[in-house]
Order: sequence, then C-alpha cells, then structure tokens
Amino acid sequence: MNINKENNFCDEKKFSDFFLNQSKLLNNYIYYKCGNIDLSADITQEAFLKFWNNCKKVLPGKAKSFLYTIANNLFLNEYAKNKVVLNFKNCQTKNYTNESPEFLLEEKEFGFKLQQAISNLSEAQRTAFLMNRIDGKKYREIAEILGISVKAVEKRIHNALVNLRSVIENI
Amino acid sequence: MKRMKEKYFLAEWLANEISDTELKEYVSEDEIRVYHKIVSASNQFKVPSFNADVALEQLKLKNTKTTVRTLNFSKFIYRAAAVITIVFGSYYFLGNQTQNYKTSSAEKINFNLPDNSTVNLNAASEISFKSSNWKNNRNLSLHGEAYFKVAKGSKFTVKTPLGNVTVLGTQFNVVARANYFEVVCYEGLVSATYKKKSVKIPAGSSFKVLSSNIKYEKTINEANPSWIQNNSSFKSMPYWYVVNELERQYNVTVKFNEIHKRKLFTGSFTHNNIEIALKAITIPFNLNYTFVTDKEVSLK
Repeated sequence: MNINKENNFCDEKKFSDFFLNQSKLLNNYIYYKCGNIDLSADITQEAFLKFWNNCKKVLPGKAKSFLYTIANNLFLNEYAKNKVVLNFKNCQTKNYTNESPEFLLEEKEFGFKLQQAISNLSEAQRTAFLMNRIDGKKYREIAEILGISVKAVEKRIHNALVNLRSVIENI
Repeated sequence: MKRMKEKYFLAEWLANEISDTELKEYVSEDEIRVYHKIVSASNQFKVPSFNADVALEQLKLKNTKTTVRTLNFSKFIYRAAAVITIVFGSYYFLGNQTQNYKTSSAEKINFNLPDNSTVNLNAASEISFKSSNWKNNRNLSLHGEAYFKVAKGSKFTVKTPLGNVTVLGTQFNVVARANYFEVVCYEGLVSATYKKKSVKIPAGSSFKVLSSNIKYEKTINEANPSWIQNNSSFKSMPYWYVVNELERQYNVTVKFNEIHKRKLFTGSFTHNNIEIALKAITIPFNLNYTFVTDKEVSLK
C-alpha cells in the first residue's frame, strides 16, 4: 500500500511531468478520431482532470493506458457520432524547390486527396495509421494504447493502406 | 499458404520489415509507387498545434476551481458561531435602535414613518419609535402635539404619558401636554385610553382631558387640525393653555396676571406674525401687550 502511495500520480510534480509528456500525443490521438482540434483539446483536458481526480486508483505502469481509456470513453460518450473532417497542417519540411510548379501543384493536390481519403477511413484504421505516421509510434506501442494485439494493429495499418490506395486511384 | 501467413505485408513493409523487392511479390509496381506517395505525403502531416505548457496551466486553473476541500468540522462550528453572533447581535442592536424626532419652540416638522404614514409634529414636541419590525408593531410615544395620517395596516398605537391612542388607519391629532390630553379624529375611528378606560372617537369628534376633566365633543368640521395651516384655534380653553401655545409657537415668554389664568378663551391666532397673534389673544380680554425684551412679552 505504501509503495502504491509513493508511486501514485497525486503528487503534483509527477502529474505535471506526466502531463507534459503525454498531453500532446493524447491530443493527437483524439484528433485522429474526431478531426476537430478544439474538441480534442477539450477532451484532453477533461481526461487529465479525471485522471487527476482518480489519481489514487492509478496502478503503477498502467497510467498511460488508464489515461487513454478515459479519453476514449469521453470521446465515445459524447462525440463519436459526429462526422470526421481532418484538416492537417500541410507542413513542408523542404525549403528548397527544384521541382517544377506542376509537380508542386500535383503534390499539393495529392496531399488534399489523401486527407479526404484518411477522413473516410474507419476510425480504428485511421487512428492506428496516423499514430504510426504522425507520432511515429511503433505497432507495439499502438497496441498497448488501444488495448489490442500487435497483429491487430498490423491488420489495421495494412487495411488502411489498401483502402487509401484504392480510394486515391479512383479519384 | 505463404500469402495467408504474411497477410499484413503492407504493415511489415511500412515498418521496414520487408523491402520493396519483397513487396513486389504481393503487389504491382504501380501500386508500390502509390504506396510510396501515400507514405511520403502523410509524413508531412502535422496535427494543428498543441501547446502542452499552456494546456497544463489551463488545467491547473480549472482544477483549482473544482478542488474538493474536506470540511474541518470544528473550524466550521467556530465560523458558524461567529456569523450567527454577528447577525443576531447586529439585528438586536440595530433593531432596538430608537428613532427620535424632536422639535423645539417655533419649529414644526413633518416626516414619514416606515409604512409611509405621515406625521406632522407641532412645536416643542417629541416622538420616538422603533423602526424595526414597524409593519407588525406600530407603536410610538409622543410628548407634545402631533397630527397623524395613518396608512392602513396593523394596530397603530400612540403612547403618551396621559393615555394611549389606538387606530387602524385614519387621520387624527393628538395633544399630550402637561395637564392636557386631546385626541381629535378627522377620518376613520380612533380609540383613546385614558386612565384604563377606552373611548371610541368617530370622525369629526374630539376627546379632551383638561386637568382631569373629561370633555367629549362632536364639533369639528375641518379636514385637519388648524395648526397644520399655521393657525392655533381654541374653543373654551383656559387662558393659560392659550398663552402656553403662543409661547411654544413664537419661542417667547409671556407674563400675565394670575386673574386671567382660568378664563376661557375661544378664538385663534396665527403662527406667522407675533403682533397679530398677540392682538388676537389680548383684545378679547381688553389687555395690552408690551415687549419687555425681544423674547419677553408682558400682558396688562
């Protein structure tokens, strides 16, 4: 019991560190689900608040999955019905342009098409795919967060790619 | 069989577990090109900005608002006791505060009571009452003379050293001077108590007690007492009372012969001009007045 008390997240410093480490990723995760940045920020805040209020119940090593479960439940309770419209910031990492204008335009168009296609994926596929692509999470980490097997994550990623290709080729 | 086992080859390819060449076993080169495009395009996506530090500050702010504090019971009791003491204490002290209205000689005032009943206070008179709970407890004490227009409501009582006057909503005049008690009712019904006997006085009637002689008259036709219009009128009043009233209205002392003291006077004098007033009270008795000083008059 004592060890549990020392390890729990009711300590403000520990909670703050945890928040700074995890809030961005949690926010992204909810954003992949709902496609609304204000909503994801709200849910993130709400989830951490719930986490803080239940800090005594958090088992060591289970904090992250507990947090994601809270956030997911909040999302499911309130917002899952809403249609998803993703709107990524198209952030060009290259500053140089040795490509032709046609190529750049084509690339921009492709990015737009891809966003639409991702928006139309099932929530499970989209979330797994974007957690891997944007947050750079390994399949094992995704599996841990979503509470599913690594194989299931691979299946979601695989199917996401297949779906994206077929949708993009059809546009 | 191989296909079944490596069902999720795209996921493996994406995780760099298999190469492009191996991928070609499953999909065409055109498809691989599209996959490459998807991967490189999606690499450039960024989630709209999220500032963890700002979010943490906001969370802390929100959290302080909802923090549940356990109640320290003993502390709470002390605080509650203090609050109760202050509330009841101030109620007691403020509630018992007595309001006072006082006029000196040659001064008249009128004011409103808490229920908008109006009071006109004649010269050299005093009224005091408790303004708290006035609605249910309309009591006031009077020395001197006052005219009341009482708003309808609960029992309204005027206490004087000589007797009490009780009404329910009316207009009446009360005089409570030394050796003289008078109640005149102008509207409604007034009940006066003198020496434990109560008398009902209807509108247009007066009740007078002069040196223990009770007089009950049905005379007046006026709408309000004459002194409201700066005029004192008397009907068969002893001369000393008339002179006393003049002294009160003009703030002077009047000396006169003892012979006239008990004579009865009927008439009136104005409050606006001392010469005319003095003439009004001296001519009927064939007297002359002289000013000894500014504040002293002698009647002969």
